[in-house]
Amino acid sequence: MNKTLIVAKRDYLAAIRSKPFLVGLIVVPLMGGSGFIGIGLMKAKPDIRERRVAIVDRTGVTAESIISSAQEKNAKDLFDKKTGRQLTPRYVFETIAPDDSAPDTQRLTLSDRVRGHQLFAFIEVGHDALHPPAPDDSGAIPQSGRVDYYSNAGGVDETREWLDGPINDGLRRARLTKLGVDPARFTDALAVVRVQSMSLLSRDEQTGAIQTARKKSELEGFIVPFALVMLLFMIVLTSSTSMLSAVAEDKMQRVYEMLLASASPFDLIMGKVVAAVALSLTSSVLYIAAGLFVLSSLALTGMMPPSLIAWFVIYLVADMMVLAALSAAMGSACASPNDAQHLAIVLIMPALIPIFVMMPVMQDPNSTFSTVMSLIPPFTPILMLLRQASPTGIPAWQPFAGLFGIILWTLAVTWAAARIFRIAILIQGKTASIPQLFRWAVRG
Amino acid sequence: MGNWDCYHRPMHAVETRALTKTFGDLTAVDDLSLTVPQGSVYGFIGPNGSGKTTTMRMLVNIFYPDRGSIAVFGEDSRAVPSGTIGYLPEERGLYRRMNVKPLLEFHAELRGGRNAGPEIDRWLERFGLAQFANKRVDTLSKGMSQKVQFIAAVVPEPKLLILDEPFTGLDPVSTDVLRESILELRRRGASIILSTHDMGVAESMCDYILMIYRGRKVLDGTLDAIQEQYGNDTLRVAAANDDCAGLPGVEKVRDLGQIRELRMTRGCDPQDVLRALIARTRVTSFSVAKPSLHDIFVRIAGPEAAESSPPKAIAAQGGSHE
Repeated sequence: MNKTLIVAKRDYLAAIRSKPFLVGLIVVPLMGGSGFIGIGLMKAKPDIRERRVAIVDRTGVTAESIISSAQEKNAKDLFDKKTGRQLTPRYVFETIAPDDSAPDTQRLTLSDRVRGHQLFAFIEVGHDALHPPAPDDSGAIPQSGRVDYYSNAGGVDETREWLDGPINDGLRRARLTKLGVDPARFTDALAVVRVQSMSLLSRDEQTGAIQTARKKSELEGFIVPFALVMLLFMIVLTSSTSMLSAVAEDKMQRVYEMLLASASPFDLIMGKVVAAVALSLTSSVLYIAAGLFVLSSLALTGMMPPSLIAWFVIYLVADMMVLAALSAAMGSACASPNDAQHLAIVLIMPALIPIFVMMPVMQDPNSTFSTVMSLIPPFTPILMLLRQASPTGIPAWQPFAGLFGIILWTLAVTWAAARIFRIAILIQGKTASIPQLFRWAVRG
Repeated sequence: MGNWDCYHRPMHAVETRALTKTFGDLTAVDDLSLTVPQGSVYGFIGPNGSGKTTTMRMLVNIFYPDRGSIAVFGEDSRAVPSGTIGYLPEERGLYRRMNVKPLLEFHAELRGGRNAGPEIDRWLERFGLAQFANKRVDTLSKGMSQKVQFIAAVVPEPKLLILDEPFTGLDPVSTDVLRESILELRRRGASIILSTHDMGVAESMCDYILMIYRGRKVLDGTLDAIQEQYGNDTLRVAAANDDCAGLPGVEKVRDLGQIRELRMTRGCDPQDVLRALIARTRVTSFSVAKPSLHDIFVRIAGPEAAESSPPKAIAAQGGSHE
C-alpha cells in the first residue's frame, strides 16, 4: 500500500475510535444549531407575563387609537387558535397626561417605575407625530416628530417590535379621524396585504409546458444556506484544531523521527490530510443523511438539490485539505500541545472571515463584494457555497472559477506545509514564530 | 570477497564522501567520509553534540546533506527502499494510545513489510513481551517501550540497522538481550551502525570504531589499529602508596580505584618509571599496555583538548576496511 494511505489509515482509525470524535459528532450540530435551539426553547416556553406600558401622548388625540389597535392585536395574537394556549404576553396600557412644564422630570419618574418593575416600558408620542416634519440635513427627525420608546430591555426587544404595528396603526387612525373618515371604514382602509415570495417560472425542457411558480418560505432562503455553511465551518474547524493538538502532542511524544526514516515528510503530511478529509466526510455523511431525512419527512427535499450536496462535498474536501495541511505544519512547529492551542487562533482567523461577511453575502449574493469575496481561495468554500445555496442562484461559471482557484491554493498550501513540517517536526523545546514558519515555507 | 559493483570495488553497506551539514552558522558535520563494510558492527563514538545523530539522520534521509554523497549498498541513499534500513532513534517515541501489535504492524507496513505478524510475534516472545501484544503502549514501562521500538526497527529484517544509543536506559538483563539480538542480526548478515557513550560497548561489540568530534572524523578503524596509533604508552600500576604524581616521564595519572593508569611521555622507558616507583613504594602489579578507548576518547575530547583546535583525523593503519 502507498505510504500516504498507510499513514492515513492509521490516523483515521485512531481518530474515529477516539472519544473526541464521538463527542464532536454531537457537539458540532449543537454548536451550529444552538441559535435555532434557543429560539425553539423560547417558543416552547414563552414569557407570557403581563406587560404594562405607559403612553405619554403629546398630540392629545393618539393614545386612545393606539390602545384600541393594540387591544385588537392582543385579541388576535394572544392565544393559539387550535390549542387555546397563550402564546404572547398580554399588553396592558396606562395613559399618562403629559407634563409640558417638566418633561424630563416626568420621564425620570416613569423610568424609575420601569426600574421598579411597575411598568415594562413607556412610550412618548411627540406632539408633531401626526404630521412629522421632514428630516433635517443630517437625516435626523426632531423629537417632537417621533414616538420614543423607553425600556431597559436588551438590544432585541420584542415588545418594541410588537408595538410598532399598533403605534403606526393608531397614528393612521388618528389622521383619518381628523380627515373626517368614518371609523367604521378604518379596518378596510388600513387592511394589511401579505406580500408572498414566489419562485421564478421556467419551462419544462421535455414537455415544453410552463412550470408554475411555487411559494417560497423565508426559511428556504435562509435555513439551507445557513445550515450548510455552518456545517462546513464547524466540521472543518473542529477537525483541524483537533489535528493541530494531536500533531503537537505526537511531536512531544517524539513519534516522528522513526516514521521519517520510513516515509517522506510529504507522505506523512498527506497521510494526515487524507485521514482528516476522510474523517470529515464520515461525519458529514451522517449529518447530511440526517438533514435529508428531516427534509423528506417535511416534504421539503427540493430545498437541498443533489448538485448542492455535491458542491458541499467538493468544498468540504478542499477546505479540509488546506486546513489539515496547515494544522499539521503548525502543530509540527509547536513545543507543546498548549502552544498549539495558542496557535489555533491563527488557524481559525482566516476561516472566521467568511462567517463575518455571511449576512451581506446572503442579502445580495450577486453583488460585486459577494462575487469578489467568494473568488478569494481561502473564502471560496464557505462563501461560494452560501451563494450557490441562495434561491437567487449565481452565474454557472463562478463555482468552477472558484474551484480552480482553490485547487491551486490547496496545492500551494500543502507543498508549503510539507516543507515546514520537515524542518519543524524534529526541533524540540521551542515553538516557531509565524515569520519563521513563512521563512521555512519559502526557503525550505 | 562479497559483492562487487560495476567498478569492481567491494560493495559496502554504507559509503559516505565529504558529507557536510550545517544548521545556520553551526557546521554539525564537516567533510565526513566513512565506509561501513557489509556484515560489520560499526560504532560511532564522540561527545554530545559532536554530530553522531546528525550523521545517522542523514544516512536515513531525515536530513539531506548540504554537500557530499551517501551510498547504501552501492546505491544513492535516497533510492534505497525504506525496508532496507532499520532505524532506532535516540529520542524514543511511539504512538502511546495504540496497542503494541497493531503499532508494530503499522511500522512494518510503512517499511514495506507485508504479513509481518509472525515475525512480530517471534520478537515479542524473544523480549518477553508476548503478553503485552494487545496492551496499549502507554501501559508499558520505559524499558519495555524501548524494546518495542527496537522491534519496530527490525521488522521486516533490515540489511542495515542504525541504532542511536540503543542501550541507554536499559537494565543489565535487557541490555544483554538487546546486545545478543543485535549480534544475531549481524550473524544473519545485517550490517550494524550504532552510537554509544559506553566505551566498553564500543570495545566489545564493534568491529570498527569511528569517533566524531566537533563534526569532524578524528578516529576511524579497528580498535587494535586505533590503539596502535598511540603505542604502548600506558602503564597500569597497583601499589601500596597512592602517590604516583611527579614520576619521571609520566605526564598524566588516572586513578581507577584499585589501580592507576599512567600515561608516559614519548620516548620514556617503562623500566625508568618502574624503578622510580619501587623507590617510593611497594608495587604489587605493573604492566605496559596500549591506551583504553576511554583514555583515547578523553585525550581527544577531554577538557584539555577542548580548549585547543580539533585534532586532525587519525587514519587507522592496519586493519583498515577501505
